[in-house]
Amino acid sequence: MTDAAQETTAIVVPEQPEVVVRIENLSKSFDGRLVLDDVHLTVHHSKIVAIIGQSGGGKTTLLRCVNLLERPDNATMEVAGETIFAGDRVTIRNLAKLRQSVGMVFQRFNLFPHLTAVENVMLAQLKAGVSEEDALDRAVKLLRRVGLAHRGVAYPEQMSGGEQQRVAIARALALRPSVLLFDEPTSSLDPESTSEVLRVMRELADDGMTMILVTHELPFARDVADWVVFVDGGRIVEEGKPADVLGKPREPRTKAFLASYAASH
Amino acid sequence: MLPKLFEVPWSDYAPALLDGLQRTVSYTLASFLGAAVLGLAVALLRLSKHRIMRLPAAAYTEIFKNIPLLAIIFVTYFGLASVGLRLGVFEAGCVSLIVFYAAYLSEIFRAAIAGVHGGQQEAAEALGLGRVSTFAQVILPQALRSALPGTNTMFVDLLKSTSLLVTISAAELMSEGRIITSATFRALEVYLVIAAIYFALCYPLSQGLLWLERRIRAGIPLSPKRRRRLRAARALLAEKGAPV
Repeated sequence: MTDAAQETTAIVVPEQPEVVVRIENLSKSFDGRLVLDDVHLTVHHSKIVAIIGQSGGGKTTLLRCVNLLERPDNATMEVAGETIFAGDRVTIRNLAKLRQSVGMVFQRFNLFPHLTAVENVMLAQLKAGVSEEDALDRAVKLLRRVGLAHRGVAYPEQMSGGEQQRVAIARALALRPSVLLFDEPTSSLDPESTSEVLRVMRELADDGMTMILVTHELPFARDVADWVVFVDGGRIVEEGKPADVLGKPREPRTKAFLASYAASH
Repeated sequence: MLPKLFEVPWSDYAPALLDGLQRTVSYTLASFLGAAVLGLAVALLRLSKHRIMRLPAAAYTEIFKNIPLLAIIFVTYFGLASVGLRLGVFEAGCVSLIVFYAAYLSEIFRAAIAGVHGGQQEAAEALGLGRVSTFAQVILPQALRSALPGTNTMFVDLLKSTSLLVTISAAELMSEGRIITSATFRALEVYLVIAAIYFALCYPLSQGLLWLERRIRAGIPLSPKRRRRLRAARALLAEKGAPV
């Protein structure tokens, strides 16, 4: 493969700032109920951060604040070298640009059902001004990368859950984001599909993709993540290297969570 | 009795019937287009976050759904003329059909748009699509799919309802039928023929729309642009790509 070809298929954008995501003093409430309380999180380039914790503990809300799908009540947030939120307001002018630099993969895939796999991967590119030819070229390369070239013109309803989630990952990569967000990407999948999706995610990790991952797959987090954050009751209760947080937790709540996890798996 | 049934010199009336047919088609197309646009606007208002937008839209729908079309036609044509707003027959006919059918279509569209899963909006936003693109490329195409059966029914219904415009002498098919009847006194024969013409219009139309529905549901691309795109995609996907 030539250098030029390698360049076009590179998933990770070169020239990344060292810190891709910096979140400080993040608070968020829904209808007066505090769901995130003074959260701090820094994600460095090429690192994988796994957020774990009980359902309803604020993990997903934290993730959704990174691309401003959820507006914090208060925070200072910096994404891909730009301050996107300060105090109680959005400071980034171009919300679309932020979304383009942050890819997101949802629990329920959320593929566009009226479009084929390849069109799902093309749509955002076309809207961002990429030419038809280049958008198609990149979409096909990304589908190959997630092992789905043979399903390129299939519709979501014709695909298994694992295939849909792999297309969703390809779609999230289409605009060469600086960071990928995963919101429980395997929670609605059967074991076989789960391992398909985890394999693709592991390959992305090996390529140096920066990722924030909300997950219940603790073995995967232990294996792949550089940093594990345990969130409970809207606060970061404990964080550290996977071996520490998952292996020798210090906080009672982390211990309790891991014990209940072990009991149910 | 049968030989006596057909005595009207139909060849003499063919040009008039053809003219009426053309008018029926014009009324149908113009009114349906207008009703679809107005219906979509009303549906969007009803889905608005703001009560002040929702309320008038809901009132509109309820009012026009619950009064007969004939009353709307009379108010538009005779009623408005009596207070100085004189609409032509074609305008009055179209306006009546538009405001009446927009009420029904807005209900169909509203349900269809509301039925698109919330995750679709989020996925589009997360990809950096703007409000307009999100609606036009993601929400609307999915809503149209689920709105298609109801919309198609309304389309055929609207075509048949143009016959009510006979009451304002709209010179469409039914009006021509009435003129031929008064010239020949052969009501049974004439109206059977008129009915047959309506059937010949509506049956293929509804079958055609069903066919269209099935094709769309099967995921067959309709626009040449999409067909080209998918052809190019197939060709590229079939190539042995370099491993990435």
